[in-house]
Amino acid sequence: MDVDRITSDESEGFFNDFIEDQLNDLVEEIINEGELDRGDASGSDLIIEMNDIEPPTLVYGDGGGGGGGGPGSGEPGDEKGKLKFEVPFERFMELVADKLHLPDLTKEGKGRIKEVSYQFKTFGPVGVILDKKRTFKRALRTSIGTGVYRPEEGRHDVEIRRKDRRYKVPQREEHPKYNAVVFYMGDISYSTFGERLELEKRLLNFVHHWLDFNYGKNNVEHRFFVHDVEAYEVTPEQFYQVSNIGGTRASLVFDLVSNIALNEYNPATTNFYGFYVGDGELFGNDAKEIVEILKERLHPMFNRLALVEIQPSRMSCLNTEVAKAFSSDRVIRTCALKGKNEIIKVIKHMFEARHA
Amino acid sequence: MLSLRSDPRLFELARRVEYFAREKFNMTLPEMRFFILDPMEFAALLEKNVYPTSPINIWEGKKIANKKHRIETGQESALYYEVVQTGNPSYAYLNETNSALTQASVMAHVAGHCEFSELNVLHDSDRDRTEYVMHLVRKVDLARRQMGERRYIDYWNACESALPFIAPNSQYNLENSIDQETTMAKGAIEPARTPERERPPLNLVSDTLNAILKFDEPRPFVEAEKQRDRHEALSRRGYSLRAPCQDILGFLRQYAPTSRAERAVLDYLYISHHHQDFVIRTQIMNEGWAMYWEKKIMMELFGEDAVRGAIDYAKVFSGVCYPRPFFQRNPYHLGYHMWLHIEELYREGKMSLAYHEETDLDAKREWKQPDQSDPQECMRHLVKTITDYEFLRRFLTPELVEKFHLNRLDQRTAQRLGVKNEDIVRADRQWVWLNPEPIPNEMLGFFAHYYRPRVYIIDTDYLDGGLLLMHRDDGRRLRADWIRPTLNNLNRIWKAPVYLLSKDKLYGASASGYKESTVAEVPFEAVVERLGKQQQPFKAA
Repeated sequence: MDVDRITSDESEGFFNDFIEDQLNDLVEEIINEGELDRGDASGSDLIIEMNDIEPPTLVYGDGGGGGGGGPGSGEPGDEKGKLKFEVPFERFMELVADKLHLPDLTKEGKGRIKEVSYQFKTFGPVGVILDKKRTFKRALRTSIGTGVYRPEEGRHDVEIRRKDRRYKVPQREEHPKYNAVVFYMGDISYSTFGERLELEKRLLNFVHHWLDFNYGKNNVEHRFFVHDVEAYEVTPEQFYQVSNIGGTRASLVFDLVSNIALNEYNPATTNFYGFYVGDGELFGNDAKEIVEILKERLHPMFNRLALVEIQPSRMSCLNTEVAKAFSSDRVIRTCALKGKNEIIKVIKHMFEARHA
Repeated sequence: MLSLRSDPRLFELARRVEYFAREKFNMTLPEMRFFILDPMEFAALLEKNVYPTSPINIWEGKKIANKKHRIETGQESALYYEVVQTGNPSYAYLNETNSALTQASVMAHVAGHCEFSELNVLHDSDRDRTEYVMHLVRKVDLARRQMGERRYIDYWNACESALPFIAPNSQYNLENSIDQETTMAKGAIEPARTPERERPPLNLVSDTLNAILKFDEPRPFVEAEKQRDRHEALSRRGYSLRAPCQDILGFLRQYAPTSRAERAVLDYLYISHHHQDFVIRTQIMNEGWAMYWEKKIMMELFGEDAVRGAIDYAKVFSGVCYPRPFFQRNPYHLGYHMWLHIEELYREGKMSLAYHEETDLDAKREWKQPDQSDPQECMRHLVKTITDYEFLRRFLTPELVEKFHLNRLDQRTAQRLGVKNEDIVRADRQWVWLNPEPIPNEMLGFFAHYYRPRVYIIDTDYLDGGLLLMHRDDGRRLRADWIRPTLNNLNRIWKAPVYLLSKDKLYGASASGYKESTVAEVPFEAVVERLGKQQQPFKAA
């Protein structure tokens, strides 16, 4: 028999290609529905369910079909009639970026160096470092199965066989050695609830994931600021909860952010991002002051700064003023988000590459 | 994949196993080739229907991906007891992680399977089966290139729908159902001849007069015309249906209009799967036979100290032969103990006519009148003549059901299944015992349907070239949402409309669409009779 090794690798690859296609379709669906905030803010792996594939045939109605599972880009799982996948967050973001044609962000700082580390994430039957806990668990299970371990009879032997051994297998991980800080600025003076709040959350969640994905989760600091007639820093949870009815002065938050960026970070090694969300209804010289701060302090330092008017009204004037000063700018972007179906457009506009 | 020669100790063990099997126990064995595989190769082999190669297909990919995940997460062991592809030569595969003791028992077990395959009445063993399948794999690979990826996938997937309908050993297999120009169906029912009617007193020659007198005996030339029509139809299409055909994929492989590439796919799928029909029809006898000889050979190996660890072996053996209730039958346990029982019957002369005619119960109980025949040769005779159905029907008695614990289930299972108190004959804290009397018959019921719907081709020219399938009513409905895609898939293979008759519903799939209609129910027996009489088996109102 002229077969060196029996393997199903080709068929497995074929199946994985199919799953990849399904995943692409799913991402497209997610994008079309504007539900880009599927993952939580921690950027953990996403669990994606899709209908199982099974060749249809004539079976009894009360007992046919279902079962199975397989890997796409992630780990497969079993559930009757469903294929369940854990898609790594990075892979999901890659697919989203691919679909939205988002460019790689310009990373400045320490160059193209990557941090390399080895983490013991997988466990195999061969290796050097024995995982005692896993090995013991398997050995105990086998010993119970084979009757070696029978506590009720006073036999507490555990037989560790070669096939019970589990070794730690190191996995090489590369992390980009860039740092970034993201300033989220929100106007709490307007009625941020219901659909407005939902839109804001979705948009900023995506920004959060996107920057985590580009710089590596541990290399990005996310800071949240709100303003009414004062500006102050809040926790991520408070960012969506605090609200106030009354006057507003947005330039204060830009001023605060510029001070923090300048005083707390090294501009030579840090990439700065800023995202302002609000209704854009400003009074007096507020908008002009913002333009000044942007021009003089933030524009030279920041990689990207986007001002998004959420469901703007006729009174909204922030973007109009900013756009006058920064039309087609490489760093400053202004957008208006009117509804869920515009999220993709806004994201594209915020991140698209534009040469000065 | 390593040759057995790469491990001198295993090679020597294989030699000893073969020696005992052939020389000491006089077993009829084909050439047995052993190979050593690593666990992942083993997993792949199983997904390839125990052939070393297979064409690329998504279903195998899905199964192996799932299996890998289960092995990696500890949900499934990568250790398999034995895997053999019988035939001449037979290919058996050993798992490299097994101990020498286990390898020896696997080899002995394989010898049992190989002999069973050689001898059994279903004539399973064929020459160069594995080599032929590998040749077909190459043909399918070529076909994939000829068809293009998209069409290849679609066609393969369509064939998957027909895969459960392979029945080469059914009463309604191709051989018994199809008339060809050169061969007539064996099992075809002869058209029932009308009894000779009393001839009229006059030999009337005038047709007009016959009509007036309502003399309706078929005229000789009408019969001759019908005969001629049948022959012409047979000649035109190359076949005609004389009885329902349960081997649907076999039929499509032979008679569906296919390109050479499509035929290669059908050939591969049919040939690589048709052996499973033999397995399902003989599983109890087959596994029992293998266990029986495995133990005999292992005892010899222990005797000459070729392997050590009789106690370990006994533990594994008793684990494999652990009794299960009749509805979860363990073929290793049931088959092994049935063969031991039969051996005892032959040894004590209890298969003789005299024993059966003995009316004194005490005498029967004490009966020990061995004759000259060798019990093992008598058992081989059984292998040569029967399958599981007859094996159980003839030998499984309520006493044996009790003895083999087939009527015993644990308390929790009994509660889960809602076993009624009147069905329980006794119970203790752990177990309940059911009445053993009806159990043999319950077990025989499996062989009527194998827990699958019985579907037959009953017309190959329904509504001008359509293929009409019939689901034989057994009180259960088919899964409704799979009927349409299945018929569409069959339509892709048959390249003409395909219909399915199930109870009072007629489903049809053709290039122009899919439709369902309600029709009058037709019993399967009526269809058989009509086909036997060369009548149309079913007409929609």
